[in-house]
Amino acid sequence: MRRQYWRIVVAGEGGQGVQLIGEILAESAYRAGKEALYIPNFGVEQRGGVSIAMVQIANGPIAAPKFEKADVLVPLSRRAMERTKRYIHSDTIYIYDNSDIEPPHVWDEVIGIYGWDTVAPEAFSLAVGTEPQEPGRPPVNEGVRPRWIVGIPASSIAREELKPRVFNMIILGAIVTASRVLPLSVVEETLLAKLGDKLQQYLELRELNLRALARGATFVQERWQGEGRP
Amino acid sequence: MDTIFIKEQRAFMTGNEVIAWAALAAGADIMYGYPITPQNEIMHYWTRLAPKYGRGFLQTEDELSAGFATLGGVMAGKKAFCATAGPGNVLMQEPISMAEMMRIPAVWFIQQRGGPSTATVIYSQQETRLTCFGGNGEGLRLVYSTATHQEIFDYTLKAFNHAWRYRFPTFVLGDGYQAKMREALTLYDPQTRGTQLQSTSPMLGVKGKVQHHRNTFNIEEELYETLSKHLAEWQQMAREVVEWSVSGDEEPDLLLVAHGVVSRATMAASKQLREKGYRVGHFRPITLRPFPITALQEIAGKSQQILVVESAHGQLMSLVRDALYGCSCAPVHGLLRPGLGITAEQVIRQAEELLPKRGYSGANHS
Repeated sequence: MRRQYWRIVVAGEGGQGVQLIGEILAESAYRAGKEALYIPNFGVEQRGGVSIAMVQIANGPIAAPKFEKADVLVPLSRRAMERTKRYIHSDTIYIYDNSDIEPPHVWDEVIGIYGWDTVAPEAFSLAVGTEPQEPGRPPVNEGVRPRWIVGIPASSIAREELKPRVFNMIILGAIVTASRVLPLSVVEETLLAKLGDKLQQYLELRELNLRALARGATFVQERWQGEGRP
Repeated sequence: MDTIFIKEQRAFMTGNEVIAWAALAAGADIMYGYPITPQNEIMHYWTRLAPKYGRGFLQTEDELSAGFATLGGVMAGKKAFCATAGPGNVLMQEPISMAEMMRIPAVWFIQQRGGPSTATVIYSQQETRLTCFGGNGEGLRLVYSTATHQEIFDYTLKAFNHAWRYRFPTFVLGDGYQAKMREALTLYDPQTRGTQLQSTSPMLGVKGKVQHHRNTFNIEEELYETLSKHLAEWQQMAREVVEWSVSGDEEPDLLLVAHGVVSRATMAASKQLREKGYRVGHFRPITLRPFPITALQEIAGKSQQILVVESAHGQLMSLVRDALYGCSCAPVHGLLRPGLGITAEQVIRQAEELLPKRGYSGANHS
């Protein structure tokens, strides 16, 4: 049976565009006539430079903004994986970037402070520079293993075929296609509405974002045909 | 001036943004503010909206000034409001006490953050006691504790109307989660739903009329007489405005009690526990001041045990115990997590430890 209630956690390094993924997911659900609740950055998981977006999508009222297990977990760096692995349950769809290119890492020590208004990762990564970090491969021999593991070389695709900045749209396309939580067309609509003015001005940017979204979607689609998908 | 909402419309936004729209719909004329997380975006959104609709904004040099300026705005005949959090809420207690003494009907939005002192900029329910009883007085206030974005909108409209009707300082008590999370709600013009907005007029400076609003008294009896009148009027208001919600089993083995955003977790827990066959009730005070004492006594009197759930260390629990003293023998337990969010799963685990095992305590349970 298709899931009626989705808990989604997207976590990553500063500059990976994690919050935009959360925002677009939640707003798309709202557009699709579902209940949605999105909350950025809280809890121990976001200590240091990790940015977290938590989204719930349901057909009925949503309870607390916090939850304990995720039906879709998307850690976009090793550190993000370490901080969010406790959300894995036996039915979790685990999506990660398996590119050879390493995501940037902002040093914890120079950040030191965290909170709502500290959009620390982005700001600090510009100020102090970054160093490479390992991708968010699933944890090995630890607790529950996620049922579905989806690796997508999103950073490589972004750099080689599109632009590095649309990395998050590739991931968004992968999330939507792997989970089938919402129709991809609604997500496209939201994306266009959300980046409206900017995209109108730069048709190129509009094209780029849509292509990235579609690329993430087709990548997952091709690899998941015939398998027992969620 | 532009019409605010031509028709009812659905929207998906943060709680802080909801407050700005609701204040606009409630007919607020001006906001006085000083920045503090997590309520800053109330100011940000208000300053974007206000010029379009002929409303005002003034940022003062600190919270004391913001609070007093709000009172000044009201005395000048404007519907003024203010917003703050945490240490800002502490500083605001002085102007709020003055509002109580002089019966100045301002509206305050509180987005609770972790305490004491600077603590966290994130979330808590630790300003419950402060918002209800802060200041050097008797807590002559009206405090609404909201749980959803729709409620933030609805109770903001109510707060403005009740503040100007009863002339006590009125609060919409939210928290960092409600401030920052996004969810859907319906925005509307209260007048299209039959709610008339209360009017306002200057308390000072009316030609040909001497007006003396006292904040200082010379003798004990003078003060006592004035306060007795205020207390009686507050009691009268309390009967008219007190609000709560009660659901679940009418004679529960366990009664869950929570307010604000935490009641979303306890409501979900109550539903799931009942689906498992437990007898569970749910009580949520919507006004924290006045507290729904009689309604709580009624359901508590039929409950075996009570579990108070809050993101504070016993602030709601002490209100509950106070209300129930002498009226209920049910033990009052607490799931108390100061400054920390609470999930439905945590409530269920705690409840299952307290509840009689299913199948052993009556035919209904099997």
